Amino acid sequence: MNKEIVQKMLDKYGERATDSMFERSLYARDLAPVPAILANMLIKTLPDIVVRPANTEEAAEIMKVAYANNIPVTPRAGASTVYFDSVPTKSGILMDLNLIKGIVGLDKGGMTVTVKAGTTWSELDEFLNNQGLAPKSFPSSAPAATIGGWFCMMGYGIGSMKYGSLLSQVKSIEVVLPDGSIKKISRETDPALDWFVSSEGTLGIITQLEVEVRKLNNMKHFLLQLPDARNMLDAMKAIIKAPVVPYNMHFSDQECLKAMYALGFSPANMDVGCIIGIDYEGSDEELKQAQEIIDSLAVANKLVNPIPQESAELEWEEKFKALKLKRGGPSVLGAEIWLPIKGLPAYLSDVQKMARGYGLNLFSYGHVVTPEYATVMTTFYADETQTIKYIINLSLVKKIHDIGHRYGGKPYGVGLWNSPMVGRIHQPPQLSELRKRKQAMDSKGIMNPGKVYRSPLMLNPFNYSLGMNVLAGVRRVFGKGW
Amino acid sequence: MSKESDKLYSTLENEALICGRCGYCRSACPVYRVVGWESAAPRGKISMARDIFSKKQTSPITDDFVKRLSQCTLCGACANECSTSIDTRKLWLDLRRRIASLGKEPKAYDAIRDNLLANKNITTFNNDDRLEWAQDLDDPEALEPRAGAEVCYFVGCVSAFFPQAAQIPLAVAEILTEAEVDFTTMGGEEWCCGFPLIGSGFVDDSEQFIKHNVEKIKELGIHTLIASCASCYHVWKHDSEQALAGYELEVLHTTEYLARLIKEGKIELNELDEVVTYHDPCDLGRNSGIYDAPREIITSIPGIQFVEMQHHHESSLCCGGGGNLQSVDADVAAKIARLRAEEIKATGATIIVSACQQCEQMLTTAVREGKLPVKVMDLSQLILEAMG
Repeated sequence: MNKEIVQKMLDKYGERATDSMFERSLYARDLAPVPAILANMLIKTLPDIVVRPANTEEAAEIMKVAYANNIPVTPRAGASTVYFDSVPTKSGILMDLNLIKGIVGLDKGGMTVTVKAGTTWSELDEFLNNQGLAPKSFPSSAPAATIGGWFCMMGYGIGSMKYGSLLSQVKSIEVVLPDGSIKKISRETDPALDWFVSSEGTLGIITQLEVEVRKLNNMKHFLLQLPDARNMLDAMKAIIKAPVVPYNMHFSDQECLKAMYALGFSPANMDVGCIIGIDYEGSDEELKQAQEIIDSLAVANKLVNPIPQESAELEWEEKFKALKLKRGGPSVLGAEIWLPIKGLPAYLSDVQKMARGYGLNLFSYGHVVTPEYATVMTTFYADETQTIKYIINLSLVKKIHDIGHRYGGKPYGVGLWNSPMVGRIHQPPQLSELRKRKQAMDSKGIMNPGKVYRSPLMLNPFNYSLGMNVLAGVRRVFGKGW
Repeated sequence: MSKESDKLYSTLENEALICGRCGYCRSACPVYRVVGWESAAPRGKISMARDIFSKKQTSPITDDFVKRLSQCTLCGACANECSTSIDTRKLWLDLRRRIASLGKEPKAYDAIRDNLLANKNITTFNNDDRLEWAQDLDDPEALEPRAGAEVCYFVGCVSAFFPQAAQIPLAVAEILTEAEVDFTTMGGEEWCCGFPLIGSGFVDDSEQFIKHNVEKIKELGIHTLIASCASCYHVWKHDSEQALAGYELEVLHTTEYLARLIKEGKIELNELDEVVTYHDPCDLGRNSGIYDAPREIITSIPGIQFVEMQHHHESSLCCGGGGNLQSVDADVAAKIARLRAEEIKATGATIIVSACQQCEQMLTTAVREGKLPVKVMDLSQLILEAMG
């Protein structure tokens, strides 16, 4: 990046801009502990400058400079994904959006809140709760994930089961487009709102959103123990078909339960079977019905073991702490898959076959987010201090995705690391349409480049598949116990 | 299972690897809120510690890193949020200890240590003058160390030597006298509790201070110790176990002891027509789990309308005065205090009460700067006022 432009930005934004190597190095990573040797071979993760705009207008000013000078811009807020969505691939400007936060307005009559994009979901929840309201849904990383960030991903999580995707709850957004213009986008505008959901910051910088809210209701929590995945699916289906829609439904497979037990925090100290957590919110009448649904399920099927309420409530309290499993690590690798729930038992069965084949423990947990789909996280322990073994272990992530693909699943989120699988994520016509949109919005390709639409040259699907399969072969032969 | 017992710590090398970089800590960190850079966030610091310590010193220990480590109030808010249950407060102390053992600590920490080793208190005053504040009492001599007393009041350096804090020990002494408690102090034999040394990474040096104080308590035959400083209390309660092994000593914060006296009917409280809010000191609340006693005292005073701030109990916002932050970056500490002053303002309270001299000093400055019509008081002062 041109040094003069860097200097001008440093002068203009003062203590809210930095080109210090010390500071910049921390923006060249996200949650994924990818060895620097690997990342640096493929992309340029180190931004030339990090700027923290205080408002939409400043974000637009920075974007105009980038547009005029063809400088790549990577937007970043919570940086709570593992796909390098908010890590540069071509250096340039990293725009840290965490100062663009706060509540703009609450429309109690219309039941919407207008909120700046850098506000975290927990902050919004706290604000709304004080008004007797709540977000309709939120991510399982709500304490760090921002409103804008989750919209840029697929936006399914806790509450989606009852209230649908985040896209269905957003009325409008304010976006800084790649040329620096500021535009309000709704379902009626051209481009429309759905262009931006899941765009992972590649079409513009979202700075504000108008989101539907709900009344803060009482909740009721249930936890069921099932002997195996088949019975777990049957119970899920029965709950989904029942007249009261759960607010949230999550599950852990047998191996996950065992891993939690080994670490001393499995619900009710269980170490056998699978578990489903079901959370209802609504009127007292709805909650009464919910109790009846779960009671009758347990009566009808003796294999369903209801766990005491206290454990179910604790499970809800701990809903943001799935990462606690990492204490068995030190590192964790895995794949998050958007999977039809009808394929869940077969998927979990194949995952265990894979585990036996490679001599490792694979544990799965997830959320049922629509009546048909779940987001499933399948993970295994690794050790990032052993760089070579760790890189070889990365190949198993693709193997997990392969199993998911076999049962109609696809990676949940693209970013950089899932970009070689973009052909699985989108059908060809859909991908072609997305690429057209990108061209129309960002013809210079400066907005979060290297993500979503196609993989970088060295990570092209052929190279990726060949490389990962070879490494997986090495892992299978030599890597038992790594 | 309580949150406190959920916090885990093995070794620095291991915990730095376990950190998932989820960023929950960042949202809660007061230093990140005022500094704004990822390097100031707990996850950023742990990420660098991982490169340095877990990955076998592949990265150098830079001055920038040491500066960021010292920009921490040790408030423990990050530990409360940690998705992998890391006791991050322990991790920061461990990191500071490692840095000090490598001789790379900030110069301000050296000054703290040198002064403490020379004077046995955090000021340059003679330690024999620890009871200077008591001259305003009717019978200052009565506070000289006395063996066999029922209770020993551990005054703490700030209360003993800072004129602006002297009203606190005076209030405590007056209340105890009024309640006819058989109490004493350690006088000039009281040394700093050791907290500033622990917070600077000089744990070995702190041990001689802890050992000295414990020995003196044993010599006096004291079995109940009360401290009005939240950090002194924390050291006595959590860091002195080894030195106290085999000796029976009940350690209480003054708020706990005074709440007990009120319940026993030994203190009579009259009506006060005030709106009061309470600031949880980090070392008393989040890091020691004492939330109820101070609130029980406030709400037991007739006429008081008690209001909570936006962040309270375990999510309470730090005053900015902990972790030796003031000695290395007074500006950041003051900015954090201003955040808390905004929350005080929003309550509409006429009195902000706390239970830590350092918190009260930070909040007094912030409230004065913000020209807020609020009186900052220690809980002991509020009780004394209610006693008429």
